[in-house]
Amino acid sequence: MRNKKISPYYIVGGILFSIIVIACILGLLGVGPDPEKTSASSKLLAPSASHLMGTDNMGRDLFARVLAASKYTLFISFAGVSVALVLGTVAGMLAGYFGGIWDRMIMLLGNSIMCFPGILLALVAVSVSGPSLFNVIWALGLVFAPTFARVYRTEVIKIKGRDYILHAKILGVNPIRIMAVHIFPNAFAQIIPAIVIGLANMTLSESAMSYLGLGVQPPKASYGKILSDAQSYITAAPWLVIFPSLMLVIYILGLYFISEGIRGDK
Amino acid sequence: MKERVTYILSRVLELMITLLLVSLLTFAAFSIIPGDTARTILGPSASPEQVEALREKMGLNDPLLFRYLSWLKGAFTGDLGNSTSFNQPVSSLIISRLPVTFGLSFLSLCLVLVISYPSAVISSRRPGKFWDQVFSVFGHVSFAIPPFVLSLVSVLIASKLFGYFAVGKYASPSKDFGQYIYCLLLPAFCVAVPKIAMTFKFLRASILTEKSNDYVRTSKSRGLSDIKIMFRHILPNSNVSVITALSIVLSDLLGGSLIVEQVFNLPGLGRLLIQAIGRRDFPLLSGIVFYLAAMMVIVYFAADVLMNMCDPRLRKNRGDSL
Repeated sequence: MRNKKISPYYIVGGILFSIIVIACILGLLGVGPDPEKTSASSKLLAPSASHLMGTDNMGRDLFARVLAASKYTLFISFAGVSVALVLGTVAGMLAGYFGGIWDRMIMLLGNSIMCFPGILLALVAVSVSGPSLFNVIWALGLVFAPTFARVYRTEVIKIKGRDYILHAKILGVNPIRIMAVHIFPNAFAQIIPAIVIGLANMTLSESAMSYLGLGVQPPKASYGKILSDAQSYITAAPWLVIFPSLMLVIYILGLYFISEGIRGDK
Repeated sequence: MKERVTYILSRVLELMITLLLVSLLTFAAFSIIPGDTARTILGPSASPEQVEALREKMGLNDPLLFRYLSWLKGAFTGDLGNSTSFNQPVSSLIISRLPVTFGLSFLSLCLVLVISYPSAVISSRRPGKFWDQVFSVFGHVSFAIPPFVLSLVSVLIASKLFGYFAVGKYASPSKDFGQYIYCLLLPAFCVAVPKIAMTFKFLRASILTEKSNDYVRTSKSRGLSDIKIMFRHILPNSNVSVITALSIVLSDLLGGSLIVEQVFNLPGLGRLLIQAIGRRDFPLLSGIVFYLAAMMVIVYFAADVLMNMCDPRLRKNRGDSL
């Protein structure tokens, strides 16, 4: 049997995604100067051999900061999606499997969460509970959970009617076991594109929150924070805007392409 | 007819419950504050007497349920009390900022419609061919650009090309309507770009599905022109499924406007929100959050009802339309 041709979406998406992963690894290894070290003598330097992406208004090396920021971006997007996935899976499975009043209540709650435009709810939750990495993750996870719950619910309703589930029910298998062992693995394949898109949207939201000052807190670097700091120097030091923007777009675009590839396979 | 009345009634009931849940979520978000709210607002330097006075004024000494009910009553009658940092009624503060945020969202919705419809029609004429490929690539890339990043980059480009103040200073619509539209145009475009891509993708898929239907082939064999088939038959049918997508787009546009206002320094609800967060002005904050969400609840409700009016088939299986 010949191998199926790999979709170009996977290749482009994979390359873009690996750029961020490499940046993250370099950031973890601590390559280059200290991203939090300020220096009065090297403020707002243009990109050069010693400062690959230039320096910011406090003399910090932008390349090192971008590497450090990619670390937080990757971490928050994966951790946030995990929180959303766990909450969404449990809610979606309960709604889909039991139906009736459970379904109505869970979906109403999910719909109400989705009525808050954009990241408004997460913004408020973080501003009330205090901005920290942990709070950002659970707030975004909560806001994204209904999306996953919807996908799971639809899948569970589809699978529920199949013969093997009926068989398990007749044998008297505990509903929790049916959900965990028989439905969950079969529904999981359908949720993978939603996970990839969720990672992209999570990054969009996290960067917007950091831009507004409610995400990753300084002196830690994040794309949103670098960009909001850069705004005052936009004409004097355009590289401060260009490089972080580029990295952010590369990451999100990579994820979109991968999700397109997955959809094309189906 | 009876079916329609029960449908509308059940939808209205659901609207009420959703509004109630949204209010509960908003209120809950502000009740989980660790520690004393009055102390948080006043800061560590306030005396215990001041804190106690504020507690009394904000009704913080009352039971939680009572506070929720009185807040709810205020929210539905448009009286959420005074903002603690601006010393103005919350409702009048919000109303004074509406022209910017709504103008921005409305303008970007117009841009979404004006750009995505023609490109989807052109794209779906010959799927997979040159123009389809061009639009699709544009769609993918613009999908991935966060509005605030696009705003920063466009401010950068505008300032390099036309000098720093090319972006334009805000003027209220009653004073100088031309200037008002002019200064909102670039921000609206930045908010709209990712959503243009989304609407385009959705519309294109929807047109292509419609196109494969038998009635299109029949119309063609009757000798109708492609253009006539597109505008008389395909587009009206695709619109039905696009209505829901557009209501979600509107929600995202509103959310995007809140952030982009910050980049362009526009005095809208987004700026008010950030000021309220910075000053820990909870009455104002809860007002903004609740009214924005309540508006979206009504938009979704309207979209749902509109869709049912356009497509009678949907009414049959409304049971699982949640």
